[in-house]
Amino acid sequence: MMALPFFTAFLALLTTWRGWRGATMALWALTIVVLLVLVKLHFTDALDIDL
Amino acid sequence: MMTPSLARTLNALGLVAISVPLLFAFTDQFVNHDLPCPLCLLQRAGFVAAGIGIALNAIEPRPAHYAMAIVSSIVGAAVSLRQIALHVVPGTGGYGDPFLGMHFYTWAFVVFVLIILGSAAMLFLEGQFEPEIGYQRPRLAGLGLFAVALFALIALGNAVSTVAECELGLCPDNPTTYQLFEGQPAQGTPPDDGGSATAQ
Repeated sequence: MMALPFFTAFLALLTTWRGWRGATMALWALTIVVLLVLVKLHFTDALDIDL
Repeated sequence: MMTPSLARTLNALGLVAISVPLLFAFTDQFVNHDLPCPLCLLQRAGFVAAGIGIALNAIEPRPAHYAMAIVSSIVGAAVSLRQIALHVVPGTGGYGDPFLGMHFYTWAFVVFVLIILGSAAMLFLEGQFEPEIGYQRPRLAGLGLFAVALFALIALGNAVSTVAECELGLCPDNPTTYQLFEGQPAQGTPPDDGGSATAQ
């Protein structure tokens, strides 16, 4: 699952090379969504700092 | 005057520049056997996502492509800040060896900020967005093609390496082996200060 954003980004770069701008932007958006889900899964504990 | 051609060249150079920290981290991973923690991988993914917008700009500069780089860098910078905050209290140590006085995650934050500032600066130069006479959408060639090909290989390399390290699930907080080749790490491994929110 941690590898997923790299795979979607790789596909986005392949579509960039092919000149398929719409597909690139859609795959980029998917990469960001996956990244945010992974961030959510890893940001679970409170930080030991006083703001 | 920022012409579209000059902007394409600058973005291609920018993509090569973003490749440097990713290649450096990759080299450290394999030469020094310093496996990336989960937050480190998320920061790498942030760089790769930012590079997609810059790669599009290497073909045709558009404001939306800069926005993609900025949004990706904000997500990546948030992950970097999270990891910095995990270690900001004196005595809590750090993850990995420092480089030039700062840990990789701190360097990552600096680079994400530079991408945001660089993209914002480029957005001020509107000449690159004006239509050219006899315009035809350019194809990737030369420096642009090299930069995108290199960056795509780095993304694929990170994908393969992450599968080797974590298989298809989430990575352990303190990875010490490539799970794909050596199996799951022993249960009860003490948490390290390195990777995820659970490691404090």
